[in-house]
Amino acid sequence: MHPILGRADRLAAYLAAWAAVCAFVAGIFTRLGLTWTEALVLLVPLFLIYAFVCLSAWYVSRATPLTTTSSLRVLASSILASAFASGLWLALTNAWIALLSMTTAFAPAADRYGQQLPFVFAVGVLLFMLALAGHYVLLAVETAREAERRQLELELLTRDAELRALRAQIDPHFLFNSLNSISALTGSDAPGARRMCLLLGEFLRTTLDVSARQRIPLADELALAERYLNIEQVRFGSRLQIQRRVDEEASSCLVPPLLLQPLVENAVTHGIARVLEGGLIRLDVSRHDGRLAIVVENPCETDAAVQRPGGLGLDNVRRRLDAMFGRDARVDTRVAAGQFHVELTLPASVRTE
Amino acid sequence: MRLRVVIVDDEDLARLVVREYLAAMSDVDVVAECANGFEAVKAVSDLQPDLLILDVQMPKLNGFEVLELVGRDVAVVFVTAFDQYAIRAFEVHAVDYLLKPFSAERLAAAIDRVRERLGRGDPLPVKELAAAGQSGQEPARRILVRDGPRVHVLPVEKIDYIQAQDDYVCFRCDGKEYLKEQTLADLESALDPAKFVRIHRSYVLNLDRLARVETDERENRIAMLADGRRLPISRAGYGRLSALLK
Repeated sequence: MHPILGRADRLAAYLAAWAAVCAFVAGIFTRLGLTWTEALVLLVPLFLIYAFVCLSAWYVSRATPLTTTSSLRVLASSILASAFASGLWLALTNAWIALLSMTTAFAPAADRYGQQLPFVFAVGVLLFMLALAGHYVLLAVETAREAERRQLELELLTRDAELRALRAQIDPHFLFNSLNSISALTGSDAPGARRMCLLLGEFLRTTLDVSARQRIPLADELALAERYLNIEQVRFGSRLQIQRRVDEEASSCLVPPLLLQPLVENAVTHGIARVLEGGLIRLDVSRHDGRLAIVVENPCETDAAVQRPGGLGLDNVRRRLDAMFGRDARVDTRVAAGQFHVELTLPASVRTE
Repeated sequence: MRLRVVIVDDEDLARLVVREYLAAMSDVDVVAECANGFEAVKAVSDLQPDLLILDVQMPKLNGFEVLELVGRDVAVVFVTAFDQYAIRAFEVHAVDYLLKPFSAERLAAAIDRVRERLGRGDPLPVKELAAAGQSGQEPARRILVRDGPRVHVLPVEKIDYIQAQDDYVCFRCDGKEYLKEQTLADLESALDPAKFVRIHRSYVLNLDRLARVETDERENRIAMLADGRRLPISRAGYGRLSALLK
């Protein structure tokens, strides 16, 4: 697509520039004895046509791009093209003068103009060259923009792929341990085994379901965490206790899927599972001043020997929030008095329908 | 020969299924169930079982650490749900292991193999597996010392120095002394080389405890510790110490 013809705003600016040049040349002709009317009648149709002729400089600039063509060839093709265009313009000018000579009002002006033909040719060459330079600049701008657009698109795609991969992580440790619990229950507590199968099935299905969506209501995410914790409670028994407090208005907020889930998984695998007597996982979700705050607290190993709580899951949450909200979202963690505390704050967005 | 077995797993249900499988085997007695590594060490000391069925992932003391503490006294079958690191260690050292969930047949086969090994009298590669369990967390951050049925967990930053005593090493930690069957060289390689330095053939010093270095009338260098203790420094030890203090 031609970068000027294809866009009305650019075409208007282009023609305005030509009008200015035309007025300037007409001004010169008034100094040579023509009236403004005569000069404009003579020049406006010629400049208007030549303005469109000069748009063909685009094809010249495309055929000999500066980046891949030798400067000698660029120079040669520029001179040739402008001489050809200006020659065309000269022919047009002659025809127009011949036409005007037949009228009584403009015949003297046409004659006088006829004596300036070398000047007309020179102006024609100059204008075409200018147009060509302009097109080269436009071409460079367009190429740069295209490269930028591709880069952005690539970044988006990469991010998208990354998000998908992160979401797809279901902890194999969790799966195998759950299956082992089912295997154990089968012998002693068949209804319990069935209940566990159902919980696991629901959890996996919900995980797959929410993964396919961009944003989900926090209530859905909380329900998923609930199922997960119910399964882990079968595994850990009295070692795992849960306390939750959720603001009514917070649960309708939209959040990226599987945002809370890694935090809850961490609370179990890095917290409860590593403390001999287990303990309480506290979940607190609140919303004020347009911000959503999600807090998860769990007991953690106080021995210096055990690795830092959080780990990979928390890194993933951090990166996803960063990709989605940049500086608008925060992840804060601290360890105090044998408790690991993680808090996410992000803009509270609600469904807009 | 009847096998006396202890089941070690922090999850009730995981122990339940093993107990159920073992109950169907005629020549196996379950003598104890332990919910953590400390109980396991105590059970080995008190009951002297033939076999531990030992979960790898447990709080405070993992399966490898339990093995390090009791491995010479008892046969072990490892159990894990999913731990690529542990599985690689088992494969490398040709140690049999069970993946959760497993069948009664699979457990029976593992126990048969244990009987064969006991019959041949070849022990598990305790030292190698214990090292494999450690190397996930570069320098050791704590030292485990078994004292009969008890396990002492010594955080490395609380250790003042370690002294070699024949086949043992003696840890000076929090005003007490703990003996462990280990060589000083093995221990030294597990500790953080930026914090612990071998100042003498028989001494490894925690650098944080060093107050100053003095020279006595015979030109021997002496490490003065913050609590007033004095430890000898050898010529080579002084070289290592000055390299670290630079």
